[in-house]
Amino acid sequence: MNKQRNEISRERIFDAIRAAAPTVTADVKAIQAEAADILRESEFARPDLLADDAADALVQRIEAGLVIGTSCEHIATMDALPNAVDQFLAKYALPKALQVQRIERLQKLNWGSLSTEVDIKNDNTVGLCWAEYGIAETGTFVVHSGPDMPILLNYLPLYLIAVVPRSKILPYMDDYALIANEIAQRGETPRNMCLISGVSGTTDIEGVLIQGAHGPEVLHMIIVEDQ
Amino acid sequence: MQANKPENFYQNVKDALAQPDLKMIIRRTTDKAEAKRAEAIANFPGFENARKQGQKVKDHTIKYMDHYLAEFEKNALAQGTIIHWASTAEEASKIVLDICRQHEAKKVTRSKSMLGEEIGLSHALDNSGIERVETDLAEHIIQLAGDPPSHIVWPAMHRSREDVIKLFREYHKDPTYSEEIIDLVRSARRDLRTKFLTADIGISGSNFLLADSGSSCTVTNEGNAELTITPPKVHIVTAGIEKLVPSMAHAIPLLRLLTRSATGSEITQYITFHNGAKRPNDADGPEECHMVLVDNGRTKMLADGMEEMLRCIRCGACMNHCVVYKHIGGHAYGSVYPGPMGSVLTPHLNSLEVANKQTHACTLNGRCEEVCPVNIPLPKLLRSLRAQSWDKKYEPLTNRFVVKAFAALAKRPMLFQWVSSCGVIFMKLCSRKGWIRSMPLAGGWTRNRDLIEPESKTFMQQYKAMKKAKSDGA
Repeated sequence: MNKQRNEISRERIFDAIRAAAPTVTADVKAIQAEAADILRESEFARPDLLADDAADALVQRIEAGLVIGTSCEHIATMDALPNAVDQFLAKYALPKALQVQRIERLQKLNWGSLSTEVDIKNDNTVGLCWAEYGIAETGTFVVHSGPDMPILLNYLPLYLIAVVPRSKILPYMDDYALIANEIAQRGETPRNMCLISGVSGTTDIEGVLIQGAHGPEVLHMIIVEDQ
Repeated sequence: MQANKPENFYQNVKDALAQPDLKMIIRRTTDKAEAKRAEAIANFPGFENARKQGQKVKDHTIKYMDHYLAEFEKNALAQGTIIHWASTAEEASKIVLDICRQHEAKKVTRSKSMLGEEIGLSHALDNSGIERVETDLAEHIIQLAGDPPSHIVWPAMHRSREDVIKLFREYHKDPTYSEEIIDLVRSARRDLRTKFLTADIGISGSNFLLADSGSSCTVTNEGNAELTITPPKVHIVTAGIEKLVPSMAHAIPLLRLLTRSATGSEITQYITFHNGAKRPNDADGPEECHMVLVDNGRTKMLADGMEEMLRCIRCGACMNHCVVYKHIGGHAYGSVYPGPMGSVLTPHLNSLEVANKQTHACTLNGRCEEVCPVNIPLPKLLRSLRAQSWDKKYEPLTNRFVVKAFAALAKRPMLFQWVSSCGVIFMKLCSRKGWIRSMPLAGGWTRNRDLIEPESKTFMQQYKAMKKAKSDGA
């Protein structure tokens, strides 16, 4: 019954569209060519980056305070990550404990006096994730859901640290769209592709910006050089 | 607060103007949004090119809507999404309720969706006994207050901090007794956190639907969409068919325009592309994903030559810049969609007979069109609706008489000038110290503001005098 009702509604909608705005051409290639033409205009329809190099542009955007609640630093190698995290925790007077994404390149590090867990709990204070990409245009890091990437890791903690490989920092969002398309062509599209550009914020009470509405209040991006 | 009805527009406006603080509360947010948008545009020299590109993306998709809709369906099904089609609001609401009942859902979380409001989902869920948890902070506030939204981006802008303090103290389990805004936000965070994690179903809207991948895209500044969608076993998306774009690459120009136009931010904090249900080994995510694709008047807009309105990306810039909205606020419109975009949309979602008065609540100053990120000619569309309303005789008899009388006068220049000069004399008699506080036949104007005293002579009298002086001088 529901299936039949669904089919009737579907036909009704398509019939109404075709009656009102009949497709000018049924040639899919012609439609695709027209769609591709529109994208050629992007070069003149996007903002200038703050530096020629994408990683420098991303850092400058964050340092200029243009990415809400976000700070950043460079480290030369992954071995320097535990120390950078330790200093971040000390800066905010936080306990030496954090949730670390369950991936080998993070789990295999010597965390020293820091206590690390992989299970996400409601009251986890600090989370550490590995970003797939960075985007200079918007001060963004990108995570993809998967067996080793619980999406909630990026949304539940009050403090979030994202490690971004310098070589994966892209100039524009359009560059990420090209990569997403390549992933789709390989049939490997993840359930979620999250572009995160700052912390959870709200201006819903008297227009005043408050950080940490539901998710992180503080975001720290650590750009690692040798990845 | 009871939701106003669109057919009672004049009374709704009177009630809104009688609220002493409403204008100040509205302007606190809209003026800030206006200034921040202007700053964001000034920092983006390519904005005009971006607008043209955004318009082309939407026009292209609308032109080939049947092609892209079929492509979207095919790709979404391939991702494992279950597709539902709804011609009307009632049908869409019923589909969502049926899914909830199939899964014996007791609690659902929702991230802000104007389409959800449009199809009456809030009421439908409440009436069915399912606990509805609004997770966007503003939606949370108006849910507690029992209010309808008053703006499409800031639905609780009509509520003051004092209102929020009272509501949170009454309804939160562990309320704050501080009056600081940060503590109020923390109170909501505490209250909603467990609800996010214990919901049976998460319901979201969609800012964009990507035809080439079957993905939906959510855009939030709080991150509540991801927290709504990820923990429950079932995710339901409700989306209007006009949200389609060909691909992610085509959504990006619109994302550049959306937040700059809405809040003045260069980008919003959380943009997520959702591609169906959880993959077999995913660490988290819903096991089932449903997509309800809704028409509810959109194909009628295509048929009625209103396809330019289908470009709308729901940024709210038109209402932030509207002199009428800034005076009366969102509730007076009696519709989910207020302001200029709402005055064009509501007659199609409801009916022109019911919502024709809103089309006249416009000075045609053109600000809405100037700031629209996808160049929707809102004044032209409003004029077209006015003409339809006139042709269908929806205007009250008094309005029709006044317009006909004006038309008769305007066709007789001598008579027009004589009546105008009598009008000036009459207005001068009613004025005191340069202002008219009340005047017969002008109660609608003077009830809420004074009318400035006119010049002693009409325009034509002054023009003739100037011309004569010039010729005498020559």
